[in-house]
Amino acid sequence: MRTISKLPLAVLALVVSGATAARAQTNNASILATANVQTPINVLGAQPLGFGNVFPGVNKTVGPDDLTNAGRFDVTGQGTAPVTLSFGLPASLSAGGPTLGIGNFQAIRSDDNAQLVGAAFFSPGASNAATFGAAGTMFVWVGARVTPAVNQAAGLYTGTITLTVVY
Amino acid sequence: MKLISWLAVGAVMLSAAAPSLLRAQGKPLTVTGVRGITFGVVFPGVPRVITRTDPANSGQFDIKGPNRSQVLLAFILPLTMTSPAGAQMPLAFGSSDAGYSQSQAIGSQVGFDPKQPFTATLSNNGRGSVFVGATANPAPGQQAGVYTATITLTVTILP
Repeated sequence: MRTISKLPLAVLALVVSGATAARAQTNNASILATANVQTPINVLGAQPLGFGNVFPGVNKTVGPDDLTNAGRFDVTGQGTAPVTLSFGLPASLSAGGPTLGIGNFQAIRSDDNAQLVGAAFFSPGASNAATFGAAGTMFVWVGARVTPAVNQAAGLYTGTITLTVVY
Repeated sequence: MKLISWLAVGAVMLSAAAPSLLRAQGKPLTVTGVRGITFGVVFPGVPRVITRTDPANSGQFDIKGPNRSQVLLAFILPLTMTSPAGAQMPLAFGSSDAGYSQSQAIGSQVGFDPKQPFTATLSNNGRGSVFVGATANPAPGQQAGVYTATITLTVTILP
């Protein structure tokens, strides 16, 4: 009798364990997400665009190849990466109340700060394509012309030139 | 004694039947991470999107289990990727960034939201694949480096 009562229990245990194994199957696996983030862009206003003394009625131009007086931005980022340069250019300079016309903006970009490596002339605007040098540097010079009126009020005139660089 | 014999025979029959029952219903469930999500080169400030239909860069899991069984797919998704230096970069999963394919073909997926559990049916030969895409959102000043994150898929056979 003891043998009889054990057998059904063994059978029941076998069936129950089998059914449980069939129901409760769970498994998982993992994968990686990877990204190689490049060097972020940094833009530094390195040198102002300086016209020096300007006389009423006499236009004055500073070319972008004027390493002393042209405005200069120093940009760093990922070597050889393409970027877009966007300039914000003033239509006039201001001395508080009076204004002084400015225009005919021109620019040069180069891989080095002496305009010797990869130098290229361009017309600065809202969207200029460019490429970082192998070392991840770019230097941008901006020149322009001011057009003082014959009766231009004397004073110190200033304006802001902005360069935005994005990948 | 006669009763004992019948019970013994029954037990033998059942024990013989049980493994075959398990074989039919309970082919072992396996989940394999086949391919990670590869964003490749990412520029600071420029989001990078990998779609689930990208054959080279999307993530892929392969599933094997009992034929035609219903399974529940549930992801554990990271919010950010991390560089060795500890910098973090946001990682986003859209509402259709995961896809299930009974035929295991990347071109014939049913899209689903990886942030929600999804019920799928394995094929007649007990197979299926899950594909996953995502968007990396580097900040403009994102620190350079190789960023990684782990995506886990848990599969459960439904009763």
